Amino acid sequence: MADQLYLENIDEFVTDQNKIVTYKWLSYTLGVHVNQAKQMLYDYVERKRKENSGAQLHVTYLVSGSLVQNGHVCHKVAVVREDKLEAVKSKLAVTASVHVYSIQKAMLKDSGPLFNTDYDILKSNLQNCSKFSAIQCAAAVPRASETSSSEKFEQSNLQVSSETQATSELTANGHGPPTSKQIPHQPKGIMGMFASKAASKSQDTNKETKTEAKEVTNASSASSKAPGKGTVMSNFFGKAAMNKLKVNLDSEQEVKEEKVVEQPLLSVTEPKLAAPAGLKKSSKKAEPVKMQQKEKKKGKRVEFSDDETKETVNMKKKRRRLKLPESDSSEDEVVPDSPGIYEAESPSPPPSASPPPEPATKTEPEPPSVKSLSGENKRKRKRVLKSKTFVDEDGCIVTEKVYESESCTDSEEELKMKTSSTHRPPAVTVKKEPKEERKGPKKGTAALGKANRQVSITGFFQRK
Amino acid sequence: MFAEQAAQRAHTLLSPPSASNATFARVPVGTYTNSSQPFRLGERSFSRQYAHIYATRLLQMRPFLVSCPGSGVRVKKLCELQPGEKCCVVGTLFKAMPLQPSILREVSEEHNLLPQPPRNKYIHPDDELVLEDELQRIRLEGTIDVSRLVTGTVLAVLGSVRDDGKFLVEDHCFAGLAPQAPAPPLDMDRFVLLVSGLGLGGGGGESLLGTQLLVDVVTGQLGDEGEQCSAAHVSRVILAGNLLSHSTQSRDSINKAKYLTKKTQAASVEAVKMLDEILLQLSASVPVDVMPGEFDPTNYTLPQQPLHPCMFPLATAYSTLQLVTNPYQATIDGVRFLGTAGQNVSDIFRYSSMEDHLEILEWTLRVRHISPTAPDTLGCYPFYKSDPFIFLECPHVYFCGNTPSFGSKIIQGPEDQTVLLVAVPDFSATQTACLVNLRSLACQPISFSGFGAEDDVLGGLGLGP
Repeated sequence: MADQLYLENIDEFVTDQNKIVTYKWLSYTLGVHVNQAKQMLYDYVERKRKENSGAQLHVTYLVSGSLVQNGHVCHKVAVVREDKLEAVKSKLAVTASVHVYSIQKAMLKDSGPLFNTDYDILKSNLQNCSKFSAIQCAAAVPRASETSSSEKFEQSNLQVSSETQATSELTANGHGPPTSKQIPHQPKGIMGMFASKAASKSQDTNKETKTEAKEVTNASSASSKAPGKGTVMSNFFGKAAMNKLKVNLDSEQEVKEEKVVEQPLLSVTEPKLAAPAGLKKSSKKAEPVKMQQKEKKKGKRVEFSDDETKETVNMKKKRRRLKLPESDSSEDEVVPDSPGIYEAESPSPPPSASPPPEPATKTEPEPPSVKSLSGENKRKRKRVLKSKTFVDEDGCIVTEKVYESESCTDSEEELKMKTSSTHRPPAVTVKKEPKEERKGPKKGTAALGKANRQVSITGFFQRK
Repeated sequence: MFAEQAAQRAHTLLSPPSASNATFARVPVGTYTNSSQPFRLGERSFSRQYAHIYATRLLQMRPFLVSCPGSGVRVKKLCELQPGEKCCVVGTLFKAMPLQPSILREVSEEHNLLPQPPRNKYIHPDDELVLEDELQRIRLEGTIDVSRLVTGTVLAVLGSVRDDGKFLVEDHCFAGLAPQAPAPPLDMDRFVLLVSGLGLGGGGGESLLGTQLLVDVVTGQLGDEGEQCSAAHVSRVILAGNLLSHSTQSRDSINKAKYLTKKTQAASVEAVKMLDEILLQLSASVPVDVMPGEFDPTNYTLPQQPLHPCMFPLATAYSTLQLVTNPYQATIDGVRFLGTAGQNVSDIFRYSSMEDHLEILEWTLRVRHISPTAPDTLGCYPFYKSDPFIFLECPHVYFCGNTPSFGSKIIQGPEDQTVLLVAVPDFSATQTACLVNLRSLACQPISFSGFGAEDDVLGGLGLGP
């Protein structure tokens, strides 16, 4: 009989699976009205006790009613054990309702497990939490259309990982922005300045972030990065990108923690590959490469979290977001270590600071604007050494190393920009860059005499 | 009233499953208007001095007090006072308290003072009252209860100036209750549930079960059919502040080194997620108004602005969720509600000898100002055009949240005003919420409990001997 089915179900839950069967749990599991679930539980208890009086069943009841206390008529709602039921009922002046709250095999010491059971089943049924309730509200209509429009807005504006994160958040709502949309969006928005190569890489990283830290994807992205990444990496992560990646880091750190943990393991190979190339081009040390070297050098250091952030930065190089103050805090931790490394490495600028031939066409105004933003936010912090590559108005690819000190201001950055823009011919650029880079780390300590300083003998003529 | 109604229906749940189960429709939303517009701040500028708020407060309150002394006694300004002449003066009160924490004294090196530990009350027998009007101030003495009054109250004092320059007070009076528009009568029982101090993130497991039971009663999952039918008459739920616990505010991360706290999440993040789930359950079933409180992630100064909807991605899907300001003012089914999350009352408690929160609540109503101690000891936005905390109209239900215990009282005003005062207790400590019956303007506490290891079920319910 259909009626007996629920009895068997309850029997199975209670005795075989040793679960705590609350009325709410039963209601969601069997898909019945809450009152029916309560009646089912009662029926089960009665029958079981009739058949087998020594049944190992402990029942808790819900009692509610009113009584006069302190001059007020108080309404009390309580979950009580079976042995206390009559005592509580007798104290109440008016008993409004009594029903079975839960059935379990073992005697409960306190009501904590009841709450946990209800909480768990509720979590998995959040979207239709009032489906089996006895009260239906006509006014409570979820605004489905509005949330989906907000998702679209997010997709078009934010970056991949942020979108992924939004996905994970919104899926709780039952909506999930189609992840396929993210990939075509990448080249357009922030990714405009990156080349298609970058786009493909970002797709890799995108897939990587989407899948739950799969070794395979990690390895693929790592391997895709590994070959000759000295140039790519360094140019890939200009300061601008780093800034924008920061917010993602913070927001995603919990989410991506497991991925990140795996990444450093894999990316240990990366520094080994990148480092030799990177060392030669240490002038253009991009932050992640720096971090990789740091990781390599100071493997014993427990700055694992720093590396992790750098790794996530590696993986999520496409993230671009307006700098938020929160992102500063992550950079803050990073930075104190970096000066140590940078001082060590900067004295050895590579002679062949070949401008990366890649299509990392960062437009000039963009990095400054980002930097100024970051500069404002990071006025009090030290930043890691970053190199920025961009094409200036003459079509020359210019790379400059930027090192922001604590007292660094936007003007200092702009000065650096101006001086770098004087590098017209690439050959001169090459020559200038070492000098530029050597001066780079000293910027933090040097005065703001950048604009007046003549970088090289021909610098005088370059200025227009 | 809740239980009696509920008990009228037959108990059906201690029986085998019946063929059909009743489902009740929530009472439809009657008339609702949110009148908290004065508490909403648009563009904020903190470059103004706080003196302007006192100036406008006195300006707005003066007309209410001028009629106070009655005929025969003239109302004068302080600059017009003649010694020995009996007259009435209207001004703002200032209480000089030696124990009041003063930041200037603390940072002053010449005093070499250690920061004062927070006390329960800062009153002292040596406190002095000073009356200030637009131009002058004068010391008050005489038949005036110094310990009861607090800074920022606008009142009228009757007396005369003595030769030593102090004003000898014979009597004083406050602005009294504001005029009240009568509430239209309701034909059936409608309830509004007031809860405050949910205290999520506080780590107290007991209060979590209580919160869940509360949500279940309101959404109609708990209880027999009679109770569910009564619960369907709950037309609104107002969460009056302190949704997060005080412990989520811990600033440990500021004191610790950055490398230790880098990956730690603020405690409020988990708590807000839990709150979102609770709000989702509630708003799927009943209109909810959420007021921020002292420990909630919004601005600190009064009036506190509504919590941002981005914190509640699940619950904001429902239009029944409303995020409102603190203080909050609304007309629900013709009944005017006005309430705060309790910061005004607890601040007055600290600087006055009044002990009962309900008494303080009544006092603020009679003084015609929600929070006279703002901006002196309670943070407040520097208003300059008008003081939004003055009662322009008397509410029907006036509540404050996060009190140590439940209290409710009905007071009558001289012009036929009837006000229900409700002191909503802190739920995380007392597991008690308040049900206000809009038809009869009566309030009933409703408490929830589970059972604990100590077997003291009756004690937990308050039913012990």
